[in-house]
Amino acid sequence: MPRLERLPAANRKTLLSFPTQENATAPFVRPVKPLHACRVAIVTTAGLHRRDDKAYGPGEQTYRVIPAVTPVADIVQSHTSIGFDRVPIMRDINITFPIERLRERAARGEIARAANNYSVMGALRETTKLESETAPEIARRLRDDGTDVALITPT
Amino acid sequence: MLARALEASGIATTSISLVREHTEKIKPPRALFVPFPFGHAFGRPNDAALQHRVLAAALELLDAPAGPVLRDFPDDAEPGVEPPAPRQASMITPAPTVPTDVAGEVRAMRERHAQWLTKSGGRTVFGLSRVPAERFDDVARFLVRFAAGEDTDMRERPADTPLPAFIRWCADDLKTLYFEAYLATAADAGGDEIAQWFWGETAAGQLLRRVRDRLDASDDPKWKAAAFGVAR
Repeated sequence: MPRLERLPAANRKTLLSFPTQENATAPFVRPVKPLHACRVAIVTTAGLHRRDDKAYGPGEQTYRVIPAVTPVADIVQSHTSIGFDRVPIMRDINITFPIERLRERAARGEIARAANNYSVMGALRETTKLESETAPEIARRLRDDGTDVALITPT
Repeated sequence: MLARALEASGIATTSISLVREHTEKIKPPRALFVPFPFGHAFGRPNDAALQHRVLAAALELLDAPAGPVLRDFPDDAEPGVEPPAPRQASMITPAPTVPTDVAGEVRAMRERHAQWLTKSGGRTVFGLSRVPAERFDDVARFLVRFAAGEDTDMRERPADTPLPAFIRWCADDLKTLYFEAYLATAADAGGDEIAQWFWGETAAGQLLRRVRDRLDASDDPKWKAAAFGVAR
């Protein structure tokens, strides 16, 4: 995002009043393989899903799978907050969900492959269930997929 | 927060950060702060080279020996002329004369939208309401009745979708129909230019302002929340 001081006052106020955690440290695991041997998934908070999948409701703390082979024309976004510009994603899904860029890197041998991707809803104010149930379930599925690295993308 | 939970479960993560102030507090294991507006996490649409640079910078953070790591993406340029956040309806003054026949306008937009689908290879973010585009002049008439204060509904509304949520989806799809129709003849247009046109010059833009007003006048927080998502 642009620096907060460049935002209109209303947006700045909404952001500064948005409930955020405050942590002193971070969990940290080092990838066991070099990047070119890693399977990479996108896990996005942009509320994306396949067109025939169930749309997210506001505040919903569930997840959707976007399989590695999903054509970009089959991906839609039900996070439609008017606080962000939707035109970029209309023009190019990779602006938020760089699936074609990952596939290109895989084709060039820079990563092992683009793995199955996962999404959750954005702009969540209440995240208890996401932390205690949804995220661990996504992590379990990522491990089952053999995924080494998750790229977390917002909108 | 999501990154922390995945990392705690043993998956290495690297994140794109759009709000540095939040990321500093939450402390995901690895984050790349990017100086782009909301909706532009990887820089600019259809600029694969810039998107690859952002992606590479995010993946490079995996080499860090310890964390948390918060690095700034080195390009401190805004992507083009887009403002940090899209202008809202309340910041756009309607033109002195704006068409009033929404249903007729929607029919014309559908034709332009069909051109967009041809150009985009079928890519569209339209479809959240599950009402097909061919029925959107009926959706427009439904929204006109709603804005006028009538007790109204559509048979397409699923039983498990409350009325304000359905109206929000219809408003989202109506905007998408217009915004993508605009892109059909101006493929490089930015969100600000299209918002200026939609809220300033179209009958649909003025209709959605009135839909927002009725939702916002309700005491029901679900109606008010829907109003906040339709126009502000």
